[in-house]
Amino acid sequence: MNTLQLSRLSTDAFNAALFAYIAAMLGYFHFLAFGRKAVWRVASLVAYAGLAAHIGSVVARGFAAGRVPWGNMYEYSSLLSLLVVGGYLLIVEAGFKVKSLGGFALAFSVLTMAIAVTFLYVGPAPLVPALNSYWIKIHVVAAIAGSSLFALGGGVLTILYLVQDRRERSEAAAPPPIMGGSTDVDAPPHFEAGADEPVGATTSRRGLLPPAAVLDRMAYRTIAFAFPIWTFAVIAGAIWAENAWGRYWGWDPKETWSFITWVIYAGYLHARATSGWKGRRAAVIALVGFVSLLVTYYAVNLWIVGLHSYKGF
Amino acid sequence: MSSSSSSSASSKTLRGSVALVWRTLRSMRTALVLLLLIALAAVAGSLVPQAGVSDARIAAMFRDHPFRAELYKRIGLFDVYGSWWFTFLYTLLLVSLAACLLPRTRAMIRNLRARPAPARELDGMRHYAERTISVEPDRAIRRSRRVLRRRLFRVSKSNGDPSIAADKGLAREIGSLMFHWSFFLLLIGIVYGKGTGFTGQAVIVEGGTWTEAHANYDGVIREGSFFNEDHSGVQIHVDSFTATYRPTGQPSDFVTHAELLDPQGNIVKTVDIRVNHPAEIDGVKFFQFGYGWAPVIEVRQDGKLIASGPVVCQQKPPPAGASPLQLPWDCVVKLPSLEPQVGIRFSLWPDSRGLLGLLQTGQAMPMFDVYQPVMTYTAYRGDLLADLPQGLNQLNTAAMKKWTSGTVGAGQTVDLGGGLTVSFPDLKQYTVLEVARDRGLWIVLLAAILVLVGLLPALYSSRRKIWVRAEPNGAGTVLKVGGFALQRTSQFEEEFAKLVDELARASEEKVGAS
Repeated sequence: MNTLQLSRLSTDAFNAALFAYIAAMLGYFHFLAFGRKAVWRVASLVAYAGLAAHIGSVVARGFAAGRVPWGNMYEYSSLLSLLVVGGYLLIVEAGFKVKSLGGFALAFSVLTMAIAVTFLYVGPAPLVPALNSYWIKIHVVAAIAGSSLFALGGGVLTILYLVQDRRERSEAAAPPPIMGGSTDVDAPPHFEAGADEPVGATTSRRGLLPPAAVLDRMAYRTIAFAFPIWTFAVIAGAIWAENAWGRYWGWDPKETWSFITWVIYAGYLHARATSGWKGRRAAVIALVGFVSLLVTYYAVNLWIVGLHSYKGF
Repeated sequence: MSSSSSSSASSKTLRGSVALVWRTLRSMRTALVLLLLIALAAVAGSLVPQAGVSDARIAAMFRDHPFRAELYKRIGLFDVYGSWWFTFLYTLLLVSLAACLLPRTRAMIRNLRARPAPARELDGMRHYAERTISVEPDRAIRRSRRVLRRRLFRVSKSNGDPSIAADKGLAREIGSLMFHWSFFLLLIGIVYGKGTGFTGQAVIVEGGTWTEAHANYDGVIREGSFFNEDHSGVQIHVDSFTATYRPTGQPSDFVTHAELLDPQGNIVKTVDIRVNHPAEIDGVKFFQFGYGWAPVIEVRQDGKLIASGPVVCQQKPPPAGASPLQLPWDCVVKLPSLEPQVGIRFSLWPDSRGLLGLLQTGQAMPMFDVYQPVMTYTAYRGDLLADLPQGLNQLNTAAMKKWTSGTVGAGQTVDLGGGLTVSFPDLKQYTVLEVARDRGLWIVLLAAILVLVGLLPALYSSRRKIWVRAEPNGAGTVLKVGGFALQRTSQFEEEFAKLVDELARASEEKVGAS
């Protein structure tokens, strides 16, 4: 196959993946709303099919350009959403056994891919000299892996935690009907059983979102997994910068924002160990970190001029 | 009497307030707030143009909003990362960090020297199990000890008592300490490297030799505050420079072919300096940074050579949508010795078809290679105002009058009138190299590695404690096991059950003849 055919194949597979993700996302949301397990099964299957097409798209793109397929923002966005979907399916769904969150992870990927294909698309081309280094394999892979995990943990899971936590709080605040002045001693047994559990852990829930405590733990674990990867990405970037520009740190906008993201998530990890900052406050910090991640990625590349503004080539 | 008592009281309150400050500094909340403040300061630094990075935007701000610009300048917003308040923030964070780390490190050392402490009541623990087994207590303890060791637990010394205390996961705290202390090492590396180092740019025309010395840098050279003028004196001779482009106009390669020479002028090595591939000699590194065209221009007055040599030309930033390959290169030749003084502005088109396209269609075509290069020129007569500060490639025509203009092709000579001729015998390229020395690099790298190595156990390893006691029960033994987990407590449930099974099984196993 020649470059043009490969490039077309990559685009077709990308579109197929995007549509599969949209279908799967609708399925997941349907499952979340109505709880039909068959719908979830189909949605999950469609998401896997989309993932397969997506992998095919990225590989074909790499062959079309004759280099690693993460040389510009379009490719980077594609790989980022691929890792978010893959991370969701393999870590959250297969690992944590949580079925109901697929819609949110897919929504993030669909949005990222839609932005990529609408505004950021460029044809496959070799790398400009500045990017032509083996550090692109190391630094960029770590940056994509780190940001997809941050997006999952600090974005999707944290938002869901905040939503669920709010719901549980409002439910806990409403007096249970049994205590409304009743003198009935035969209270339902689960009131006793859950007495020594922390609030939020086992409160009854309607809907299919996992309990807030579970979401919180998942968000924490995902961020704790992402943090060293991000740290490594920043270090690898600094080594590359030293090699390319003669200084390992120059407060270039990209460097600055990846540092800001790092500091915020470092703050999050510390907040988790600080009394009075656990739970909602920590979640808000994680959310701020997610916003900072988006700025690091989109705003810096598109609007803030610097050595890292890779839009276009 | 009274004075001494009051002074002791005030010293007490002083000690009290010092203790309070110390306690506040040590608290995680303080560290957290400082971290977020630093993030906030960095945001400010990315939104406001910074000196040394976007000087043009700062200048524009001073022109358009002088009051705001002056205010920003006063509070250091144009140099956030070097401002006193940014320094204050991270210094405070480091002090707070040290205040927090010192006692933790002391406790860690004490803990490392000690052995896991025994516990009295096992059955009151959150994780507790009993197994009845058919071997005597001593053997059960011996076997259990072996199992725990194999599972990387740190086990208490046997003291004749049929019990064991064991723990693991010290790596968590060690890793955390390493991670945090490494930032001090990082700071040392940065201060040492930047303080004793320098960076600057060298502009070298093909065929030229450049010596690494203070006076030879182009523009600003940044030397560290502890730098004692020990420039290396190494030399670089540039044989040629090559820029290659793809048909789309995308650059594909920039190479400076050069020789590196020691201070005595002996060739040490021949190198190709590319983007991402610097060359190094004697701790001084050369990085490919930029390039441009340097036409050789000769000016004669009545046949006598009054100015000659390659003139470094520069390019204006291209307008949106245009490629820099479509733009000409501008340079200036000043002739202060003439009366009246003469200044000539040149615009070089390395490929004359570029100029032709512009004249015919209004659209310059991109110039990939040299093809019949041509220069347009405009000459001015009057006063060069040489006393006023101006760049090499700037001509202040405030006191000059336009005299004549035209074009001169490569190999041609044109007559400006008044006995003045301009020749364009040759076209060369120049390369711009970033020159830097940073002796702290390896410290910074080491610190970064330690940060990462410390981070992994600090986040992922979990602290566990296990106590085992064997009590005789008829001919057999009751094995009592208690457990305690500090992290990942939900996982510990399963871990603990497995461990208890293994301890019981291993105790009962028959091993060879023993």
